[in-house]
Amino acid sequence: MEKAMEIIINGLSTGAIYALLALGFVLIFKSTGILNFAQGELCMVGAFFCYTFATLLGLPYVAAFLIAIILGGLLGAVIDFLFFRRLVGEPIFSTIMVTVGLASVITSGAGLIWGHDVYSITAPFTDKTFVLGGVVLGRGALYTIGISILLFIVFVLFFNRSLLGVSMRGTSEDPHTAGLMGINVKKIHMLAWAIGSAVAVVAGIFLADQSFVRLPMSHTGIKAMSAAILGGMDSIKGAIVGGAIIGLVEGFAANYLSGMVVGGFHFGDVKDVTAFSIMILVLMIKPHGIFGKEKVERV
Amino acid sequence: MLRITNLEVVYCDIILALKGISMEVPSGKIVALLGANGAGKTTAINAVSGIRKTIDLSIEDGSIEFENTAISDKEPHEIVSLGILQVPEARRIFADLTVEENLLIGSYSLQDRSKFRQASDMVYEYFPILKKRAGQYAGYLSGGEQQMLAIARALVAEPKLMVLDEPSLGLAPMIVAEIFQIIERINREQSTAMLVVEQNANVALSIAHYGYVLENGRVVMEGPTEALRENKDIREFYLGLTEIGTQKSFRQVKHYRRRKRWLS
Ligand SMILES: Nc1ncnc2c1ncn2[C@@H]1O[C@H](COP(=O)(O)OP(=O)(O)O)[C@@H](O)[C@H]1O
Ligand SMILES: [Mg+2]
Repeated sequence: MEKAMEIIINGLSTGAIYALLALGFVLIFKSTGILNFAQGELCMVGAFFCYTFATLLGLPYVAAFLIAIILGGLLGAVIDFLFFRRLVGEPIFSTIMVTVGLASVITSGAGLIWGHDVYSITAPFTDKTFVLGGVVLGRGALYTIGISILLFIVFVLFFNRSLLGVSMRGTSEDPHTAGLMGINVKKIHMLAWAIGSAVAVVAGIFLADQSFVRLPMSHTGIKAMSAAILGGMDSIKGAIVGGAIIGLVEGFAANYLSGMVVGGFHFGDVKDVTAFSIMILVLMIKPHGIFGKEKVERV
Repeated sequence: MLRITNLEVVYCDIILALKGISMEVPSGKIVALLGANGAGKTTAINAVSGIRKTIDLSIEDGSIEFENTAISDKEPHEIVSLGILQVPEARRIFADLTVEENLLIGSYSLQDRSKFRQASDMVYEYFPILKKRAGQYAGYLSGGEQQMLAIARALVAEPKLMVLDEPSLGLAPMIVAEIFQIIERINREQSTAMLVVEQNANVALSIAHYGYVLENGRVVMEGPTEALRENKDIREFYLGLTEIGTQKSFRQVKHYRRRKRWLS
């Protein structure tokens, strides 16, 4: 029981990171039609931003966190301006290849600037614990889950209540008509990239707390993509649920399945395999993902 | 208010869609732009709305002025901010958004956000049915309600000039009549100038003050509504009012029927 509790909390904190990344991924895809294969790289760069300000320059953690988010947003806007502004509406193959190229450019750039070592950020909650129902848990997990939930609420309110958020949804449905309403569609695309990158940075900083700051952090991108697809590529809700599911499944698989021996057959580290198997299974039953829907029929 | 002079536009650098048209919409008036399918009506109003890049349209010659300012090289959002709102062909409401959210987007260009409440109350006053449907997804509205929403979405921005592209398209005659009455009321009460693009000449001329007839990218006729209604060609080609009794051959009657169906 206590073990399950621990797995759930840790699984959810990993899931929250996937969900944040997936959210950015879905946001960029829905707004601009571009599948961003560099989402994991943005996450990795975000952790390096925070590392630079918190560890190298010695700024307070919260300040470093906020500066990193702002830099991440700017980076997203610049990426849109330099590459994707002129690629909107081009075939998806070309745009995907540009994001794949971008991913390796970001990785090499980060390698040049920060090197290929393993670093760490000291957060106020690093190595601190709290006790919940007799279980000792890392405080970082609690912060990750708490702040992610807060962010998700902010996003849901933003996209359902605010003029800008509703306009972003409208623009993703029909950019032509959005233009006729006076919306500057290019500005909306840039905003989607900025927000999508900023949440990736948040994910990267939380991920750094669970492991380290290093270039291979970017591999998380593929998990986030699975989370987004699992959720249906369609909504914030889908990204959040998809992220949570993958985080939890990984947690349980790592604890109960990895290293298991069945009839002389030895399971290795099956954590990743299980997560992807769940995704494949769900997609076989629901090809549009859990919340993915076919278009609302126009009468 | 809106003045188009010798406008010549091409698609994809080769297809000449408007061959030098001139027309004017005076402030506070309703002007009808009539013409059959493919005449160039939508092209003309897209040029006014600044929709060029996304449909590969370019202005080769002539000018478009709004309140004495040249607008032919402005972006769509800049044109909206000047007060020209388009109600696009086939309505194009945001199906995945609620009625209320559609109106919220419509108000995007309202600079003074405190006016939104008042503007949407005004809109709901013209279209009470939309108030009942406020929380529903727009995709589930009936055709007539969607057309109303498309008009309401433009109206909520308090435009000076509203450009409507075939508001009667695909709607039952009774609903068309209701919608055109509301358009006329909006014009009268809000003094919003209207440019109504229609294939259905009958209903458009029932509310317009002035009309233009477009054929193959050229204005072939223009005049005050009464004059157009009296014009023999208009009666025949656009109002379907040929004296059928005098037609003897079956072929001619059939031809008339075909034309009538095509026009109404
Ligand atoms: N995007 C486009 N590319 C090329 N030609 C077009 C395009 N849109 C319209 N046309 C052509 O321009 C002419 C006028 O079309 P349109 O303005 O849509 O007519 P209407 O609205 O009067 O039915 C037609 O011959 C049509 O084939
Ligand atoms: Mg048309």
